[in-house]
Amino acid sequence: MGFQINCPNCGLRDVYEFKFGGEAKERPGPDADIRRWRHYIYFNKNANGLHEEWWYHTAGCQSWIKITRDTATNRVSEGENI
Amino acid sequence: MALKKPLWKFCEPNRSYDAVVIGGGLHGMAAAYYLARDFGMTNVAVLDRRRMGYGGSSRNTEVIRANQRAPEILPLYVQSIRLWNELSAEVEWNFMVWMKGLIGLAHNAAGVNSMRMRHATQTNLGIENHILSPEELKKLIPALDTSRSAAIPIAGGYYHPPGGTVHHDAAVWGLMKGLHRHGVHLCPGVDVRSISIKNGRVNGVEAKVGGNKITISAPLIHMALGGWSSEVAAMAGITLPVVTLPLQAMVTECVKPFLNHVVVSELYFCYCQQSIKGDLIMGAHLDPWQSYRSYNTYEFAAEQAYFMLQLFPDLAHLKLMRSWSGLCDMTVDGAPIMGALPIEGLFIDAGWGYFGFKASPACGKNMAELIATGRTPEKITFLGMERFYEGRMVPEVYIARS
Ligand SMILES: Cc1cc2nc3c(=O)[nH]c(=O)nc-3n(C[C@H](O)[C@H](O)[C@H](O)COP(=O)(O)OP(=O)(O)OC[C@H]3O[C@@H](n4cnc5c(N)ncnc54)[C@H](O)[C@@H]3O)c2cc1C
Ligand SMILES: [Zn+2]
Repeated sequence: MGFQINCPNCGLRDVYEFKFGGEAKERPGPDADIRRWRHYIYFNKNANGLHEEWWYHTAGCQSWIKITRDTATNRVSEGENI
Repeated sequence: MALKKPLWKFCEPNRSYDAVVIGGGLHGMAAAYYLARDFGMTNVAVLDRRRMGYGGSSRNTEVIRANQRAPEILPLYVQSIRLWNELSAEVEWNFMVWMKGLIGLAHNAAGVNSMRMRHATQTNLGIENHILSPEELKKLIPALDTSRSAAIPIAGGYYHPPGGTVHHDAAVWGLMKGLHRHGVHLCPGVDVRSISIKNGRVNGVEAKVGGNKITISAPLIHMALGGWSSEVAAMAGITLPVVTLPLQAMVTECVKPFLNHVVVSELYFCYCQQSIKGDLIMGAHLDPWQSYRSYNTYEFAAEQAYFMLQLFPDLAHLKLMRSWSGLCDMTVDGAPIMGALPIEGLFIDAGWGYFGFKASPACGKNMAELIATGRTPEKITFLGMERFYEGRMVPEVYIARS
């Protein structure tokens, strides 16, 4: 079994309707050096547990949402519309 | 007749070792094996939270090959095939190495061009590979639908004779046997919870064994944790350029032998091989989101069955027996992370995603050399983690999920 994501616009939908947008990370300031930027782009917490992340609802409202999911169980808490 | 002497034994870890390997998969066990074999380091323990081979090492679909893309990594694969072949005699254990040859299919001109490019690289490095026309492919694989009206037309392909399969369980057991023979400790059920660091040097780990907390001291620590790499690296304060994604595979009922090679469709990310038992092992589907949970989906089975039936229409009505999944540690450039870390005495071999089974013995051998001598062997010089900060990516491509 996959899992479902609760889209704030469309309700509970199958995960295959969405495109994964990766971990929600803190973006470096405009004057950050290249090393900081590379760290931001390529490196991940990759937590085994609670995870704040982006999804795009391709087969639904076509908007980006930010959700918190437990990557150990794939249980999703409420989504937030951005 | 029962064997008088066990082939291997498990034990609880001692309180101190010359080196500790965290992760009892094939990469970790191979590193420990070559530490003992090549450098005489036998006061070593391999620790695993679950059991030896619990992770990708006994979930993979057993494909070996030496024809991925990046010239930086190809020599490692070539070395690995040689080592797989040597291990059976060396450990006196049948690893069931079967160099049946690997055939790749291209479905359009772009696919054929990409194969030609890789063919040139491989030829340069002395790796055997042949570009084939649809007619030649049909001769090698009579069951393949090469007709022009096929829903997935076949534009060409390659034949890579050194490719094939190694039995993954035989590999896990074989390395356990080899390690036991050298006196290396195999310690399942040891859940590493923290890595202790003093003055920029590692000096041991803390782990849970049953309900008890233990500490093990060691000046050298190697992390070979597959999908769990980020979790354990974080114990040393290290963030990795890795995400953990779930990969699914499946197997059909047994039929008479009809497929002599591993067959891979590079565009549709699916492949198939017939085991010696007669079942067809098929993979693989990588869900493109992070997950530490193993699960199987209908979407995977349906998609896989669809592609397989386009390639091999005769497989219609064949039953699926099982499907399973495992975790893949993926980097952005598709190449692994191997080398020493900024903390002295700490090493890593990770980022092997869905393609690290074939490379296990060579990874172990090179990591053992690095750990024992402190010098980075030439075959892994391009693979250090610093490349992500320096913008020196290794252009591996995710060609087929095998
Ligand atoms: C479905 C599937 C099909 C695949 N097919 C192929 C293929 O055909 N060919 C190929 O080359 N590759 C394939 N792969 C990839 C291959 O399986 C992996 O790259 C390889 O097995 C990685 O081996 P490893 O030893 O590094 O990690 P693993 O075998 O995953 O071992 C890691 C070990 O670390 C242990 N561990 C985790 N956390 C802790 C902790 N805190 N303390 C102690 N121990 C811990 C785990 O229990 C586990 O045993 C496939 C993978 C999957 C999932
Ligand atoms: Zn929506």
